[in-house]
Amino acid sequence: MFGQGLIKGLGITFGHLFEKKITQQYPEERPVLPERFKGSFSLRVPKCIACGLCSNACPNNVIKIESEKDENNKKKLTGYKMMAERCLYCGFCVEACPTKALLWNHNFERATFFREDVNLDLFNSYVPSPEDEKPAKPEKEEETAKPEKEEETAQAS
Amino acid sequence: MLKTQELTLNMGPQHPSTHGVFRCVLNLDGEYITKVVNHTGYLHRGLEKLAEARTYTQFIPYNGRLDYCSGMMNELAYVMTVEKLMGITEEIPERAQYLRVIMAELQRIASHTIYVASFSLDIAGFTGFMYAFRDRDRALDLIEAASGQRMMPNYMRIGGVAADVDENWFSQLQKLLDDMPASLDEYDGLITGNEIFQARVKNVGIVTREMALDFGFSGPNLRASGVDHDLRRDEPYGIYDRFKFDVPLGEQGDTFDRFVVRIKEMRQSVNIIKQAIKDIPEGPIMAKVPKVIKPPVGEAFHCIENSKGHLGFYIISDGSTKPYRTRIYSPCFVSLGFFPIVAKGQHLMDAVVTLASIDIVLGEVDR
Amino acid sequence: MDIFIKIAGALQDWLMNGMGLSVTASELIATAVWALVAILFILVNLIILVWMERKLGAFFQMRRGPNRLGPAGFLQFPVDIVKVLGKEDIIPAAADKPIYKIASICAFVTTICAFAVIPFAKGMVLEDLNIGIFYFIAIGSTATLSLLMAGISSNNKYSFIGGMRTVAQMISYEIPMAFSLLGVVMMAGSLRLTDIVEAQQNMWFVIPQAIAFIIYFVATIAETNRGPFDLAEGEQELVAGYFTEYSGIRWAVFFIAEYGNLVAVASIATIMFLGGWNAPFGLTFLPPFLWFMIKVYCMIFMFMWVRWTFPRIRIDHLMHFGWKFLIPVSIANIMVTGIGIYVYRMITN
Repeated sequence: MFGQGLIKGLGITFGHLFEKKITQQYPEERPVLPERFKGSFSLRVPKCIACGLCSNACPNNVIKIESEKDENNKKKLTGYKMMAERCLYCGFCVEACPTKALLWNHNFERATFFREDVNLDLFNSYVPSPEDEKPAKPEKEEETAKPEKEEETAQAS
Repeated sequence: MLKTQELTLNMGPQHPSTHGVFRCVLNLDGEYITKVVNHTGYLHRGLEKLAEARTYTQFIPYNGRLDYCSGMMNELAYVMTVEKLMGITEEIPERAQYLRVIMAELQRIASHTIYVASFSLDIAGFTGFMYAFRDRDRALDLIEAASGQRMMPNYMRIGGVAADVDENWFSQLQKLLDDMPASLDEYDGLITGNEIFQARVKNVGIVTREMALDFGFSGPNLRASGVDHDLRRDEPYGIYDRFKFDVPLGEQGDTFDRFVVRIKEMRQSVNIIKQAIKDIPEGPIMAKVPKVIKPPVGEAFHCIENSKGHLGFYIISDGSTKPYRTRIYSPCFVSLGFFPIVAKGQHLMDAVVTLASIDIVLGEVDR
Repeated sequence: MDIFIKIAGALQDWLMNGMGLSVTASELIATAVWALVAILFILVNLIILVWMERKLGAFFQMRRGPNRLGPAGFLQFPVDIVKVLGKEDIIPAAADKPIYKIASICAFVTTICAFAVIPFAKGMVLEDLNIGIFYFIAIGSTATLSLLMAGISSNNKYSFIGGMRTVAQMISYEIPMAFSLLGVVMMAGSLRLTDIVEAQQNMWFVIPQAIAFIIYFVATIAETNRGPFDLAEGEQELVAGYFTEYSGIRWAVFFIAEYGNLVAVASIATIMFLGGWNAPFGLTFLPPFLWFMIKVYCMIFMFMWVRWTFPRIRIDHLMHFGWKFLIPVSIANIMVTGIGIYVYRMITN
C-alpha cells in the first residue's frame, strides 16, 4: 500500500509526544561535567616554579611568563598572562606542568563584553585557598591508595 | 518583446543548506540548472603552512579542526603517519590500539548522525534532525568524558593515546551501544521508509561505478556506487584486521544509496566497538617515545578510512623537530568536484539534495 | 447558548430603533462590527494556534518549546508581535512599491472574507448564503494573487521563484479540493452550509465520504502552503520564498493570514465532514459552539502532526500527485457518490 511508511512515521512522532524531554533548562539546571572537562585555567601560584615548560608546549604562544631570580638563585614567578583569545584549548600546557600548578577548571561561562577581558592574568588574579596544597586528582589517587593498602596488609599480618 | 532568460543565482557562502561556507554560482533555466561553478576557500586557514612552524606534537590539535565532525579520526591519521615516519608502528601498546579503534568508531557514529540530521534538515524533516542529534549528543558526552572536549578532542598522541578511561566510561558506552540499534530503526521508520523522502531521493544524483572512480570518490560515497573497497578491511591499519565486520554496498549510486550505506555503516561501527570492548587488555597507553620527537629524514604517507573517505597525510621530515611539509589529502575536497557535472540538468531542489548526500565538511575542503 | 445571536440581535435593534437609522445603514454597521469580530476571532485563535504549533513541534522533537513568557510560554506570540512592531520598515530600493505594500494586506483581506459564511452554531453566521461553499472556494482562489504579488514585487530572485511555485501549486490543488467537496454537496443536496450541517445529524459525512475527506485534507495542506507542501517558502533552497524581503509588521500580517487560512480551512472540514456543531453520540452537555471549536482544533492538530513529521515534496512530484492522482480519484468519488445516491433513492422509493 502506498502510505505505509508515512503512517509509520506518524506513529513514531506521536509516540514521542508525551515522553520525557531531553533538553535541559539551562540557567536553572547545570550540566553535569566530567572531570576532565576543559573550561578555563587556574594557576596555583605557590606551586609554580616558573620553568616555562607550559609556554614551550603551547602551539600558539598563548602563555607569557615573567620571572625573576631571587636570593637562592631560584626562579620566582612575577607575571603569568594567557592570551585566551588565541588558545586552542588543547591542554598541552596542563599536561606539561611538572608540579601540576596549572590546572583546568570547569568554568565555561566566559563570555565577556570586551575583547580584552577574555585574556587571563592568572598571577594577578590569584586567590590563595587551602585547596592549593592538595595534589591534583587523577594520577595521585593511586599513590594515596598505596599507603592505605600497606596499612591494611600490616594490620592483616 | 518576450524572451526567456537564464537566471544566475548565487548560492552564497551564507545559505541554510550548503553545509558550511561554500559558494556555488548556478545558472538556472526556469528551475533547472544549466551550469554550476564551485567557489571554495572561504574557510581556508592555512593549516598546511601552520604545520611548518609547529612541532609534531604541537600540530595534533590542529587536526581536529580539519573535519570538525570527526576529530578523533583526523588525529589518528596524522599520528599514525608520524609513527610510520619514525618507524614505531609496531611498538604501540595493545590497550592504546584498542582505545584508538573504539574512539575512531565512536567518532564515526557521531559523524554519520550529523549526516542523517543535516540531510533530513535539507529536505525539511525537522523532526529527524532532532532525533539524530539526541544520539550524537550521547556519543559526544562519551568523548567529552575521555578527552575533555566534545569536538576537538586532542586525544591521540604519537605513540599512544593521551589518557586512560575507566569502568564508568565503559558502562556508559555499553548503554549507548544497546540503545543505538533502536535509534537506527527509528531513523529507518521516520526517514528512510517515508514515501515522500524516497520520492525525493531515489534516482537523484546517480553516480555510476565508472564515474565514481573517475571523480576520485572514496569511503561511503564510493561504496554506494557499488565499488567494494574499504581500507579497514583491504589495507588494515592498527588492529583492524582482528575485527569482523560487514562492508555495506549500494547498487545504483544515487542519493538514497548513499544515505542507506551510512546508516548501515553505523550498525557496523556498533558491532566493531562491541568486539573491541570485549577484548581490550589492561596495560600502558603510551609507548616509550622520546620527549622531543625528531623523526629521521624521509617521507611517509598514510591514509585511513575516515567517515568521509580516505583521509591521508603525507609528511616530509628533514630531521628537525618541525616537519618540512605536511600535505593533507582531504576526501571532501576531491569529491566536491563531482557537483558541477552531476548537477547539470537537475532541478534546484535535487541539486541541494545531491550536495547534501556527499557529506562535505568545509573545514576539510578548505583546510 | 445563543448569547452571541442575542447580542447581535440586540445591537441591530438598538441601531434601528434606538438610533433611528434606516435598515440598510444599521445592517452596514452590523456587518462592520461582524468583520471586526471576525478579525478579533482570528487574532485570538492565532495566539492559541501559534503557541500550539510551537509547543507541539517541540513535543514531537522531545524538547520543551516556549516556556519562559507566561504560563507554559503562552505569551510568547504577543510578545513577538510587540517586538515585530518595533522593527524598521525596510523596502528594497528597486521593489515595486505599491504592489509590495498592498500584497500582505491583500492576503489578510481574503482570509477575513472567507469567514463571512462559516456558521459556528445554528444562526451564528454573518450571511447564510445559499451558495455558501461555492463562495468559500471562490475566495480561496483569490488568495493566490496576493502571494504572486509579493513574490514578483520584491525584486529578488529567490522571491520570484517562490512566487512562481506558489501559483502553480495553489491553482493545481484547488481542483481536487472543490471536487472532494462536491461529493458532500451531492449527499446533502444544497450548497448552503447550514443545510449541510443539519443533514449530518444522524451520521457525519466523514464515514461515507472517507476518501473525499482524505483528498480534502491533502489538498488543503497544499492550499495553505503548509507541511509537506511548503515549497513556496522552502527555507532550505529559497531562504524564505515569496516573503524573503518582508520584515517587521508586513511579515507578521502574512503570518497572521497563513494561520487565519488554516482556521478557515479546518472550519470548512469540520462543517462538511465532521458534523459541524452537532454533538457526537448525543453528548449535549457542551454548547454547540464549543463542540465546533473542539472539532476545529482536532483538525488543526492533525495538520500540525503531518507538518512536523514529513519532509518536503518536490515540485514535479507535487504536480504529478495533484493532477494525475488526486483529480482522477476525486472524480471517481463523485461518480460513485452519484450512483450510490441514485441506488439509495431507488431502494427507498
